[in-house]
Amino acid sequence: MRGSFLEKLGTLVRTGVLGLWMLGVVLPMFWVLATSLKSTKEVTRSPFGIPDALAHPGAKTFAVIAENYTKAWVGSGFSAYFWNSLKVVSISLALILLLGSMAAYCLSRFEFRGRNVIYNAFVAGLLIPMQLILIPLFFQYADWSDVLTRSFAPVARMLQLGNLTVSLHNSHEGIILIYVAASLPFTIFTLTSFFGTLPGGVREAAMIDGASEARTFFSVMLPLAKPGLITVAIFNFLGLWNEYLFGIVFLADNKLKTLPLGLASISMQAQYKSDFGLMFAGLVITMVPTLVVYLLLQRHLTKGITAGAVKG
Amino acid sequence: MDRRTFLTQASGCAASASLIAAGCHFEPITKDNTKTIEVAVFEGGFGIEWHKDMARQYEQLHPGVKVNLWGDPRVDEKIKPRVLRRNPPDLASCTLPVWKLITAGRLFPLDDALASPAYGAEGKTWKETLRAGVLADYVYDDKTYALPSNLGVWACWYSKKLFREHGWSAPSTWDELTALCEKMLAAGIAPLAFQGKYPQYAWSTILSCYQRLVPFEKWYDIEDFKKGAFLDPSFVKAADLMQELAVKYFQKGALAMTHTESQMEWANGRAGMVFCGLWLKKEMEKALPDDFEMGCFPVPMVTGGTGDPKAIYSGGGESFFVFKDGKHPEIAADFLKFLLSIEPARDYVKRNDSLTPVIDCQVGIKISSALQSAVDAIEGSTRMYSDRLNTLYIEWHRTLVQQAQADLLRGAITGQQFADRLEAGAEAVRSNPNIYKPPARGVPAL
Amino acid sequence: MSPKHLSRDTKRFLWIGILPSALLYGLFVIWPAINALMYSFTRWDGLSTPVWIGIDNFVNLFKSGSDFVTAIGHNIYLTVIPGSIILTLALFFAWMIHLKVAGSTLFRVTFFFPNVIASVAVALLWVLLYSTTEMGPINNIRQALHMEKVPFLESARLLQSIVPMMVWSATGFYLVLFLAAMENIPVDYYEAAHLDGASPTLQFIRITLPLMWDVLTTGIIFLIVGGLKFFDAVWVMENGRPSPATHTMSSLMYAKVFEEYNVGYGTAIAVLLFVLVLIITRISMRLLKRERLEY
Repeated sequence: MRGSFLEKLGTLVRTGVLGLWMLGVVLPMFWVLATSLKSTKEVTRSPFGIPDALAHPGAKTFAVIAENYTKAWVGSGFSAYFWNSLKVVSISLALILLLGSMAAYCLSRFEFRGRNVIYNAFVAGLLIPMQLILIPLFFQYADWSDVLTRSFAPVARMLQLGNLTVSLHNSHEGIILIYVAASLPFTIFTLTSFFGTLPGGVREAAMIDGASEARTFFSVMLPLAKPGLITVAIFNFLGLWNEYLFGIVFLADNKLKTLPLGLASISMQAQYKSDFGLMFAGLVITMVPTLVVYLLLQRHLTKGITAGAVKG
Repeated sequence: MDRRTFLTQASGCAASASLIAAGCHFEPITKDNTKTIEVAVFEGGFGIEWHKDMARQYEQLHPGVKVNLWGDPRVDEKIKPRVLRRNPPDLASCTLPVWKLITAGRLFPLDDALASPAYGAEGKTWKETLRAGVLADYVYDDKTYALPSNLGVWACWYSKKLFREHGWSAPSTWDELTALCEKMLAAGIAPLAFQGKYPQYAWSTILSCYQRLVPFEKWYDIEDFKKGAFLDPSFVKAADLMQELAVKYFQKGALAMTHTESQMEWANGRAGMVFCGLWLKKEMEKALPDDFEMGCFPVPMVTGGTGDPKAIYSGGGESFFVFKDGKHPEIAADFLKFLLSIEPARDYVKRNDSLTPVIDCQVGIKISSALQSAVDAIEGSTRMYSDRLNTLYIEWHRTLVQQAQADLLRGAITGQQFADRLEAGAEAVRSNPNIYKPPARGVPAL
Repeated sequence: MSPKHLSRDTKRFLWIGILPSALLYGLFVIWPAINALMYSFTRWDGLSTPVWIGIDNFVNLFKSGSDFVTAIGHNIYLTVIPGSIILTLALFFAWMIHLKVAGSTLFRVTFFFPNVIASVAVALLWVLLYSTTEMGPINNIRQALHMEKVPFLESARLLQSIVPMMVWSATGFYLVLFLAAMENIPVDYYEAAHLDGASPTLQFIRITLPLMWDVLTTGIIFLIVGGLKFFDAVWVMENGRPSPATHTMSSLMYAKVFEEYNVGYGTAIAVLLFVLVLIITRISMRLLKRERLEY
C-alpha cells in the first residue's frame, strides 16, 4: 500500500518536472504564434495578452492577421522563399534517395573489385565538415561556370538559342548539386547497412523469375527498403530545409533565397526591425513546415534515432 | 516494365536532364545595341535618390546606355563575393579590400577619363574640375583607381544658439577648448558627446591634434608608416590630450553609446559639442530641433605646437571603383565622370547639404549654416589632409587600433602605451609581405 | 557472389548504380576537400596567383592573441558549457521518462520540437525573447521582478546568452537518443538489482550509465562536433558582422575569406576544423572501444 503510494507520488513529481520543461519548450513557440496575430501597435501595447483576434473575433481583428501574413507572404517575398525551399529541397531529396539507394544497394549486395575502397571513401565523408569544402567550391564554381560558358555559348548562338551564360553560382541547380553530393555519405552509410539486413533470397528469387537487376531493384528491393528510405528522407529533409551556411554563399540573389536565408536577411535589415507583425509572421511561416513534417513522421524519426542509438 | 519502375526511371531522367542544364541563362540575341551598366551604391545617410536621378539624366544624354542602379546599406557584403568570382558590377561605391584589388589589377584605371573633357565645363579636363587632394588617395603605379563622391570635413560641432545664450565662443586653441569644457561643466552641460561604441571616432581627432603639434614633414611619417613614427613624443602627447578630453569631458556613459545615441544627446542639448564628419547634419536631420543652428570649428591649435594652425583634416568619402571585370568599364568611368561634374555636384549640394570634390560645387547655392561653417573652415585652411591607413591596413586598423583607442579613452592605458601598441602592430604589418605598402610619398604638393 | 559470376546485366547495373553518386561525391566533396588542403598552404587573396608558403598560415593561426585563438576559445565555451548542461538535462529527463510518467509520448514529441526548427529561426526567436524593447518577454519579467533590463544581445554578452538557447533547442534530441538507449537495456538487470535492494539512483549509476556508455559517447561526439562547427546563431544574432568578442571558427573563416580576401588563411581555419573533428572522433572511438572491452 505504502509502496504504491510512493510510486504514485514519484510518478506525479516526475510528470510535474517534465511538464515544467515542456512549458519552457512550448511557451516561446506559442508566444511567437500568438504575437504573429497582433498588429505592431498591439504588440507594443500588450505584448503578452491574448491577441485581440482571438479575444474578440471579428472582421476587424482578423484583418490584422491577414495584414501580417500578406505582408510577409507577398510583400516581403516569403512566398517566393517558401517555393524556393520546396523546389530545392524536393529535387535534392529525390536525387539523394534515388542515387543513394542505388549506390547503397550495389555496395551492400554485390562483391566486386574496389567495393570496399568506394564504400570507405563514402563513409569517410561523414567526417568532412561542410566548412571544409565551402571555400574551394566557391572558386571552383566560378571557374567551372566560365569554362561551361566559353564552351557552350558558341553552340547556343549557332542554334539560335540566345546568348548563353552558365552560372553555377546563384542558381538553384548549383546548390542542389552540392546538397546532393554532401548528403550522400550519410545516406549511403545508413542505407547500406539497411540493405544488409534484408533477407538474401529475395533478389535471387526475383532473378530466377527472369527479372533484370534494375527491375529487381526498383520493384522488389526498393519497396522492401521503404522504412530505411523514410528515415533517411526525414533526416535529409530537416538538414536541407534548415541549411544556412551554403545558402549565404551560393544563393545571394534575393529571388532565389530559401526560407532560412530570407528570414535571416529580413531580420538583419534595419528597416524591418520595428515591424514586429511581419517578423513574427515570417518566423511562423519558417517554423511551421518542418513542425508539420515532424508531427506526421515523428514515429519514423524516433525509430531512426533509436536504431542509431542501439547500434551506437 | 511496371508503372512504378517507369515512373521512377522517368523522374530520374527528368531530374538529370534539368541538372545538365544547370544554371543556364539564355539572353535573347537582339539587334538592339543598348549597353547596360550595373552600378551598386552604398545607401547611407544621404540615400540614393540623387544617384538614381543622375542615372536617368545620363541615360537621356546617352540613349544607347541603360544604367541599372541599386543601393543597399550593406552593399559591401553583396559586392565582395561577386568580385572574387569575377562577376562584379561595372561601378560601385562601397568598402572593399581596395588595395588587394588594385595590386591584383582588378580595378580599371580612371586616368583616360580624367584626361578627357569634363561634362559641363568648357575647355577643361575632368581632372581640372576636381579638388587636387582627393585624387591622390588611390594612386598606384601613377594610375588613379578610385574617386570619392563626397567631400568630408572633420570638425567639432556645436549649437550656435546654445553658445550665444551662454556667451561662449568657438575655441581656437586647445587651452581654450578645455576652458570652454570647464565652463560647460559649470553650466551643468556635458561638454562632449562621443560615439563610444565605435572608438574609431577618436582617430581623426587624435591625428588632427598630432598635426597641430608637428610640421607636415613629420606628420606624413605616420601616413607613410615609417618605422618609429608612432613613438614620436608629440604623438604620445596627442594621445594624452585625447585621453584628457575623454576622461574629464566626455558625457557620462558615452563610451557605451552608439553614434546615433550619442549624437542624439548632443542634438537634444544634453551635451555641448561633438567631433564628427560633415555627414552629421544629414544623419541627425530628423532629430534636430527646427531652430537648431549648427556651427563647427576645426580641431584647435595646440599651444606650443609647431604644426600648421590652419590646415584641416578633410578628405573624400564614399569612393567609387570601376571594375576591370565589369562588362563596360569605359562607360562606367564615363558615368562616374558625369556624377562628378558640376551640374550633378550642385544638385548633390542642394539635396544633401554636403560637398563633393568638384571645385566650387557649392558656389551660389543657398546652404545651411552647418555647411557654411564647414565651407568657411575649408576656405580658411592652408591645406586639406587625411590619412589612408584605414583603407591600406584594414586589419591593423580594425582590430588593434580600435582596441587601443577603446582602452585609451577609458583610461586603461597611457598615451605612451597607446603609441607602443600602435607601433608594435605597425611593425607586424611592415614585416608582413602579404600586405601592400605604397611607396612613401612624403608631403603631397599643394 | 564472387566477381567472376557477375553477369553483363549485373555489371551494367553496378556502373549505373554507383557511377553517378561517385562522380557527384568526387567532384563536389572530395575534390574541393583536396583543394582546401592546397589553399591552406598558400597565401592567396582570391584575386592574384596563390603563393606557396608552407605551414605559415597554421603558425599564424596560433600566434598568441590572434583572432583565431579567441575564436576557438568561443567554440570551446559553446561546447563545454551548453554541452554539459544539455547532457545532464537530457539524461535526467530521459531517466525520468524511463522510470514511468504519465504522457511519456507527449513529452518525447514536444521536447523534440525546437530541434526541427531551422537554427536561423531559433536564433531569431531568441533575439525576440531577449529584446530590450517593450515587447521583450525576458526583460519584461525582469522588470516585473524589479530587476534592471539586461542588453542580452550586446556583443560582450552574446555568447552567454546563446547558452540557454542551445539548451532549449538541443536537449530534446539527446533525450530521445538516451531514452532509446535506456529502453534497450534488458529489464532483468534492473530486476536483479532491485532484488538486491539497490535504490533507483544506484541502479542508474551502476547499470544504466555503463550500459548506455557507447550511446553517451555518440552524444558527446555530436555535441563537440556541433560546437566546433557553430555558425548560424552567431551570424544571425550579430547581423552578419560578428565582432572579435563573438567570432567562432566558422564565422571567422567566412569573414577572413569573403570580407578580407585572406583566402589561404581562412581555408587554413577550415582545415584545422576538419582536423579537430577527426581527432575528436578518433579519440572518442578509442575510448568507446576500451570501455566496451570492460564488460
